[in-house]
Amino acid sequence: MNKRAVVTGIGVVSPLGIGHQDFWKNLVSGNSGIAPIESLDLSKYESKNGAEVKGLNPEEFLGRKGLRYLNKGTKFLGSSVKMALDDANLEIDEYLSNQTGILIGSSLGNFSQTTDYFHDIVRENPSNLSPMQSYDVALNSSINYASVIFKIKSFARTISSGFTSSTDAIGNALKLIQNEKADVIIAGGVEQISLDLYMIFYMRKMLAGTNGAGSEISMPFDKRRNGFIMSEGSYVFVLENHDYALSRGVRIYGEISGYGSIFAGSRSSDTSKRVEKAGNAMKRCINDAGLSPDDIDLINANGNSGKMSDLIEAKAIGELFGKKSEGIPVYTVKSALGESYGASGAMQTATALLSVNNGLIPPTINYERRDPECNLNVVSEKLEKEANTVLINSFDLSGNNSCLIVKKHE
Amino acid sequence: MPRIVVTGLGLVIANGIGVKNAWDALMNGKDGTAELKSFDTTQYKVHRACEVKDFKLDTVFENETTANTIHKYTYTAAKEALKDSGLSDITGYDRERFGIAIGTLAGELPPFEYLLRKATEDKANGFDMGVALTYPPSSITTLLSEDFGFEGPNMVSLNACSSGNHAIAWAFDLLYEGKVDVMLVGGGELIPQTEFTHFHNLKALAPEKCQPFDRNRKGLVIGEGAGIMVMETLDFASKRNAGVYAELKGYGMSCDGHHMTAPHPEGAGAIKAMLNALSAAKITYEDVDYINAHGTGTPLNDVMETLAIKSVFKERAKEIPVSSIKSMIGHTMGAASAIESVVSCLAIKNSAIPPTIHYETPDPECDLDYVPNGGREINVNCVLNNSFAFGGNNVTNIFSRL
Repeated sequence: MNKRAVVTGIGVVSPLGIGHQDFWKNLVSGNSGIAPIESLDLSKYESKNGAEVKGLNPEEFLGRKGLRYLNKGTKFLGSSVKMALDDANLEIDEYLSNQTGILIGSSLGNFSQTTDYFHDIVRENPSNLSPMQSYDVALNSSINYASVIFKIKSFARTISSGFTSSTDAIGNALKLIQNEKADVIIAGGVEQISLDLYMIFYMRKMLAGTNGAGSEISMPFDKRRNGFIMSEGSYVFVLENHDYALSRGVRIYGEISGYGSIFAGSRSSDTSKRVEKAGNAMKRCINDAGLSPDDIDLINANGNSGKMSDLIEAKAIGELFGKKSEGIPVYTVKSALGESYGASGAMQTATALLSVNNGLIPPTINYERRDPECNLNVVSEKLEKEANTVLINSFDLSGNNSCLIVKKHE
Repeated sequence: MPRIVVTGLGLVIANGIGVKNAWDALMNGKDGTAELKSFDTTQYKVHRACEVKDFKLDTVFENETTANTIHKYTYTAAKEALKDSGLSDITGYDRERFGIAIGTLAGELPPFEYLLRKATEDKANGFDMGVALTYPPSSITTLLSEDFGFEGPNMVSLNACSSGNHAIAWAFDLLYEGKVDVMLVGGGELIPQTEFTHFHNLKALAPEKCQPFDRNRKGLVIGEGAGIMVMETLDFASKRNAGVYAELKGYGMSCDGHHMTAPHPEGAGAIKAMLNALSAAKITYEDVDYINAHGTGTPLNDVMETLAIKSVFKERAKEIPVSSIKSMIGHTMGAASAIESVVSCLAIKNSAIPPTIHYETPDPECDLDYVPNGGREINVNCVLNNSFAFGGNNVTNIFSRL
């Protein structure tokens, strides 16, 4: 019999608050984390909004030592891991050190710092650059840093799979716990706003406001949607073997009980094939949890305000859930926080866990003009509802479709 | 209990392209090191690397930057591996049960470097559509999925020098759980100037040659290439009468949790990865015939790995042949452990062990049988393959004769 995997700690570094308490309060109040991007000079570009992390004091979580060598993403991840460990009341002692792994999804990791370093190389004599300039530039160095300072010795793994990176990391962590490869896994995702991240989306005309029309607002499933707004942050969880969590007598936020992933394919412009693949990923995940579509109380949607991606998701939900799809509540946190790329699945998982805990669904903000082609029951006002089984959708138009099931702990 | 087997192999490395050429070169101790050509090294103290030579792509890629990409190597090695396993055409199979996992250290950084060299004023000018499409590391598996029509789970493993083995471990678990039938796995890497500089400024690069375990070893030689394997369940392979190179018995992971760049001095993490792998494979240290070492040729790694091997293999440590092909093909970073996994399967298939070349002066601190300077034909039933990465990120896997 497979072991069960439960979440006992949540660490959040987000544009809507540091720590899951502030994060949740802001979401429930319908606040938005989106504003003009301050960390980049975007005067030449038409799309200027983003959701940036503000007010993080990493020293509070990581101490002062070595902090000046760390880049933004490493500070995000390190701080959120510390928060999650404290929240789970978990002290990594010598025994636990060998039972604990870290598994993080990040599409780009520290790629932008790597290319900044290269930019220095071409402008200066490379032999004169100090090794400390490249201390924190490996794509996975944030995870290495966390493993070193928190004494995580079971394993450290970074998964990069585009928009589904952290969904796939949490899914992988679930399987490793189910199969007793680890008792405790720090799982989640991190992504940071950088010029590089901006440019790769900007060039591909995926950002809101870059298609020549429409305003720069994240409005998933709304008729006016015209692209996504990029977001940054780190969202991590202490995922534990259920038996171990019970033996510690610790608070349990919820259970991760299913995961499924299928490749969508990007060369094909065939929408119906993409709808089919998105549906198959949801099916695979629901089956993995031993459930049927009828058991799903809430969909925590991928919905990122992309014209095509929201349409494909809506159609896939319609086909899988049939008549029920018109009643089942659909929530997307990206209305308030934008698209956090490799960290999005973890951002969604945080909201799903807090939802099942509080019997509350926050509003999908900016949802004003219904799109008849996205025939969904989008929760646009805060809703008190015991939604105990949540399906999380995480779709990459040119890569994986991955899903998770979050359940109330019983 | 499902058994996981390897049914196809593909290699693109500095001393040979294609499995047959590469294996012959490895057994003959052919050194792939030469003057580095892909960028100007005038400002550096080191000018040599293990670049792939005389490479020709048998196709033209759409929508890709005209500069170099890893995709050319992973595509070529994957095509060879799929042909080898009889899966060039997967019509009729459930493609959603065919997945891909590839490891890389730097991803498609070199094409971007190419453009950035001309954009010294403003980094933003270094972006074009080709870079925008290939920049996210996931482009590596996305492109392979589309080349070969795989529709199952995809992942790129970003775990520095153990990336390939992480990808293989991830694939092993998916197969073991019965979520997929076939996994295309491996690693790919080009030589980014960034990584060259990083190693250079850490004084980790050898000026002339890579001499693992030699007393006068001076560091690693940076390399590039790809190693790809087709992995599947034994049931699936048997049903389609596929030939089997070896069984992947299991893997072990660990993390030093010690330092961002230096390994743990006593090899605590390395020992744990090897012990975990033996235990997962349900074998003991007495069953291993050959150790494919991480053996980078850096002073610290080779002593640490030797100590770790002695700790795990006890009285047998000096009997078991240990070799490092990095002496011939350099350190291919994210691809290294995948290439070494392919070579481990070939050692079993061919009952032969490639040498550690450039071995000249014994080091009292490295006193094992390193298969110096000449390949060896002996019966190989079981291979342990080590990979240790910066940050102390370790994965060891074990292959054995079916």
